[in-house]
Amino acid sequence: MAQTIYITGATGFVGKYVVSAALDAGNAVKAVVRPSSKTKLDAGDGQSLEQVRVDLRSRAGLVESLADVDVVIHLAAAKAGDFATQFAGTVVATENLLAAMTEANVSNLVGVSTFSVYDYLNTASGTLIDESSPVDTAPELRDEYARTKLLQEDLYRSWGAQEDNNVVILRPGMIYGPDNLWHALLGAEVGPKFMRIGAKATLPLAYVENCANAMVKAAEMIPTDPALASEVINIVDDDLPTQAEYAEIVQARIDTPDTFFVPWPVLRGAAASVKAANRHLLGGRAKFPGIAVPDRLHARFKALRYTNAKAKRLLSWTPTYTTKQAVERSVKFEQDAKSASTSDSRSL
Amino acid sequence: MNSSVDPSPQSGLTQALPLKAAVVGTGGISQEHLAFLSGRAPAVGTVAGRIRLVGVCDLSEASASYASQQYGASGYYTDIAELLETAKPDVVHVLTPPETHLGIGTLCLEAGSHVICEKPITDNAADLKSFLASAAANDRHLMESHNYRFNRGVQQMRQLVDDGALGAVREVEVRISLPVTDPDGRFGDRNLPSPIHKMPAGVIHDFTTHFGYLLLNFSSEVNFHRIAAAWSNHEGRADFRYDDLDALLIGDGPHGAVHGRLRFSANTGPDAFTVTVRGSQGWAETDLFQPYVNVVRPRPGGSQLSPIVNHIANGGGLIRDGVRNLGRKILQHSPYEGLHLMLDEAYTALANGTALPVTPDQMLATSELVDRLLSDEVKL
Repeated sequence: MAQTIYITGATGFVGKYVVSAALDAGNAVKAVVRPSSKTKLDAGDGQSLEQVRVDLRSRAGLVESLADVDVVIHLAAAKAGDFATQFAGTVVATENLLAAMTEANVSNLVGVSTFSVYDYLNTASGTLIDESSPVDTAPELRDEYARTKLLQEDLYRSWGAQEDNNVVILRPGMIYGPDNLWHALLGAEVGPKFMRIGAKATLPLAYVENCANAMVKAAEMIPTDPALASEVINIVDDDLPTQAEYAEIVQARIDTPDTFFVPWPVLRGAAASVKAANRHLLGGRAKFPGIAVPDRLHARFKALRYTNAKAKRLLSWTPTYTTKQAVERSVKFEQDAKSASTSDSRSL
Repeated sequence: MNSSVDPSPQSGLTQALPLKAAVVGTGGISQEHLAFLSGRAPAVGTVAGRIRLVGVCDLSEASASYASQQYGASGYYTDIAELLETAKPDVVHVLTPPETHLGIGTLCLEAGSHVICEKPITDNAADLKSFLASAAANDRHLMESHNYRFNRGVQQMRQLVDDGALGAVREVEVRISLPVTDPDGRFGDRNLPSPIHKMPAGVIHDFTTHFGYLLLNFSSEVNFHRIAAAWSNHEGRADFRYDDLDALLIGDGPHGAVHGRLRFSANTGPDAFTVTVRGSQGWAETDLFQPYVNVVRPRPGGSQLSPIVNHIANGGGLIRDGVRNLGRKILQHSPYEGLHLMLDEAYTALANGTALPVTPDQMLATSELVDRLLSDEVKL
């Protein structure tokens, strides 16, 4: 049944595809964009799209903006900035949204979380990561994103525990797509070069269009499917490549940075030594770049296994595109956007 | 500017230890206050037995709860009245947006708590006077944070002045370079404008207190009778009152004329916060963001060799401070060592019943100076 779906973060990398997928599936969409955003979202003929201009870090206008909404897909989060910035953009924003939903009698939520919440450091290589895997319970040494997303999940659960509220938490893996094909799970920038870290680990990828479809399916089902309420569901694609396989697919299609290679065991050992020295010599007070912090490094490069079985079972979802198709579509989208931008500037 | 106020309970008001402290407002600066109160401030160390953090309060329950858990507070609150009633703090740190300081602070004073308040404490000196009157009426202390005055670089320069190493003070310059108009920064965010935009100097009001107390730290006895202040909005953003200040102050002190220059720039880099004091015999400078102290003064060897000795001494000092600052960066030391040292002095004073490190007279002199910089008569 068609729903009116309220989508936060609608102009973000993932949000644009979720809006599109929701509209294509026949839903009405209220797309939340920040007050100063100049991004224009387009709807096709006969599609119902309303842009709502609010900033979730403030409660101003939130309740009113939720009028006549059936379900919320909450994508908005701060991915950059210091801890206070990300806390405000992710945790306080979610707190405000949930309070407004309660006041506006909106009781269905797709809470978008992340694979970053899992405890990678204390999980053995080769382990299958699924929804029952332990989350990080001491994330102080993780990045601000993981720390704030963990707090966000607590808010989701607390809100979902209230009578009549239904929440399903989706944890996508690394979402990739146009302009985000060469990403942080392949390595790290070191000056003008890119340090490739590891080759054999399977990547927990979720192509952005596949991921958007899963989110919309969850939104369509949560108001009527009691089996979905309070569930956590991982979202990853079917044919997950290794780091080397994925890099080869991408490098064959787009220009990528100059790279040099460091085996994962070498970097893992070096980071462990830095952590031990920090603990013993500096009382653990020193702060080093992420590639020298085991807690962060393991979350990105450890060889683990992943499954989307629960997503398929509960959401009746299947990723539409394989990795190769996804990369090819992304490249085409990038080229189309470039052409559109060139013709726009010519017309000016 | 030179008026004196009733200092409220400046002596004889000892407090039983540990002092019960609470924090209202969990924005960015609260992390520095909470680090001190929980004994994690590197410049100060443990506060065990002296201070007990009894509550954190914020309108956001998630923020209050998180801060409370992170810093080991006894509880968290979303209502100030409940905090005051339940936790009964001896001291409340008011760290909320400036326009709320007077209202929240007065509630705390009336409930019997001393108040330590972030800057700018009020919009203007008249409001500060009534705030101070409320403190006096309730027999409580009210102290505004003048944190950078307690940073080691500024303290070292003050010692040089007090020792006469620079001669009589002739010029004081305070200069801040910060890209406040950056749309990704907290001041330049167009989506959720900072409350500081509503202050008389807009975003620059967040820094005027620093300008005032740092200038007066080296010229407290100077009567600045000629002031010209150029407040500009070079970038022309509609949400900014000003993004630039260039102020010149000229006055007479006990040892002759003194010039002050206060400079805020949003379009010069890199980020810097320098204080320079020039005396009749030498000068000294520090950067509070990347701490060092350069001192040029008469050295052994007379006027011929002094310049060379100064070069060698300052070169060595810069190398030492470069290594030290690398260590500070790795160990996550912030420029807020002065805040921690100031709070340490404040709590010691409260326990002993002695004068607090920032007095009502200093607060009022700073606030009156800011008022004068903003008055129409001195604006260029």
